[in-house]
Amino acid sequence: MDRVIQFSNVSLAIGGRHILDDINIDIARGEFVAIVGPSGCGKTTLLRLLAGLAAPSSGEILLDGTPVRAPRQDVAVVFQDYGKALLPWRTASGNIALALEAMNVPRDQWPARIAELLATMGLERDGDKRPGEMSGGMQQRLQIARCLAQQPGVLLMDEPFGALDAITRQLLQDEVLALAERTGMTVFFVTHDLEEAIYLGNRVVALNASPGRVARTFPIDLPHPRDQLSTREHPTFLELRHDLFSFIKGGTGK
Amino acid sequence: MRAIWFFASLAFTACLIGLWQLASATGLASPIFLPAPTRVLDALVAGFSSGAMPAKLGATTARVFVGWALASLLGVALGALIGVSQRARIYIAPSLEFLRPLPVSALVPIFIGLLGYSEQMVLAVIAFGAFWPCLLSTIHGFSAVEPRLYEVSKVLGLSRWSMIRKIALPSALPDIIAGMRVGLTVSLILVVVGEILGSREGIGYDILLAQRAFKSPDLFAGIILLGLVGYASAIAIDWLESRLVRWR
Ligand SMILES: Nc1ncnc2c1ncn2[C@@H]1O[C@H](COP(=O)(O)OP(=O)(O)OP(=O)(O)O)[C@@H](O)[C@H]1O
Ligand SMILES: [Mg+2]
Repeated sequence: MDRVIQFSNVSLAIGGRHILDDINIDIARGEFVAIVGPSGCGKTTLLRLLAGLAAPSSGEILLDGTPVRAPRQDVAVVFQDYGKALLPWRTASGNIALALEAMNVPRDQWPARIAELLATMGLERDGDKRPGEMSGGMQQRLQIARCLAQQPGVLLMDEPFGALDAITRQLLQDEVLALAERTGMTVFFVTHDLEEAIYLGNRVVALNASPGRVARTFPIDLPHPRDQLSTREHPTFLELRHDLFSFIKGGTGK
Repeated sequence: MRAIWFFASLAFTACLIGLWQLASATGLASPIFLPAPTRVLDALVAGFSSGAMPAKLGATTARVFVGWALASLLGVALGALIGVSQRARIYIAPSLEFLRPLPVSALVPIFIGLLGYSEQMVLAVIAFGAFWPCLLSTIHGFSAVEPRLYEVSKVLGLSRWSMIRKIALPSALPDIIAGMRVGLTVSLILVVVGEILGSREGIGYDILLAQRAFKSPDLFAGIILLGLVGYASAIAIDWLESRLVRWR
């Protein structure tokens, strides 16, 4: 297996409280892994460790074989709160330019790259709008476009569609799936929506809470490309949905 | 709609002036303390036609502007430094906290002792007073930057300098301008204080002289001119703000 991400014995304690305990997850290149678990179990914290925004108390996270010590430009992060993650004073194009700037892309290549990225996320007509003039769905598309400007090998997403309406959520799920397929990106996708996890993932990792531990891993054997109707009606989907729901219900002890 | 409001405010001003005229015409207020608006207008016209008034107006406006600009420059620079650097905060903040509550009036003798009854003394008084609002709101602006944006800049791999210039500064800009606006008001107050204490030619000093000589029309003419300087500078700041903070 061509391993891109490896959590080995990762634990994190803050102020004597164990937040994550002995996490071991291996992720292959191009895999789409969905992380689920009850609120407060440490999903966001796990993603932040992988992003290099925080360090584990013990254990190690390897990315392409090297330990993560700080954020890396080939690892992009889509935050849930798009409203806070975008620069409100810059237009959509300007927000993408921020990433190109950070990547040291020569300035004369910006217009073409920006146009291409906007088009990829269906924002070709919105380049001059500021985030305040865009809907939630458009803002999240913009944040994804900015991440793509980094040409990441690994995309981390923290409940990216949690604040969107059901229809927009489904549209974006399909777009992210198509993107991942086209680019071969490895996706680490945190969600609390179990159906979303099954629909998107090649694998669903369920955590349990206090301290956060890997409770169980569900391989998802559903055909690609996924389809909002037929995949969700697929017998395997329904079976997985049943298993995952009853596991989470039992696993949290409530 | 805007035209209606404009005329409404114009009408309101006219009413006030009408009441003022009425009060002085009926002898309700003594003309020694409240001259008729027509006499104030005469004083203004006389001042401008003799050429004395424009010079004084120019001198006062220049003092306000230079003192305020100095205060803004220092306040924003120091505020940004404190805002982005933990170390600067540790070194500088305590002495600032000591200086901040001191009233400008208590420090005027020190400025006079250091700089004499000079132009620089007046500028120092203005700058010292206007410095604080600029400094404090700049510090506030930098401390109120959305923490998520710092994480975004780390994940994108922006350098520290780019982060300050591209994220922290624009984010703090509305607060910085708000501080500069307050600083301007303070400058307008202190220019009068400075001119009176330093006996420097200008509208503020003129007001004092007019009061001593019981020339109430001149006194009111000066006050009106000061008000106009304040009004014009508020409009200038509004314009600056609308240019720089278009996204709000
Ligand atoms: N900086 C911190 N200091 C102390 N405790 C923290 C810190 N960050 C997170 N925690 C704690 O760690 C636990 C996990 O938080 P985390 O945000 O990772 O949960 P989550 O699974 O993402 O939850 P949700 O589904 O609600 O987003 C929580 O109990 C939280 O209180
Ligand atoms: Mg979370």
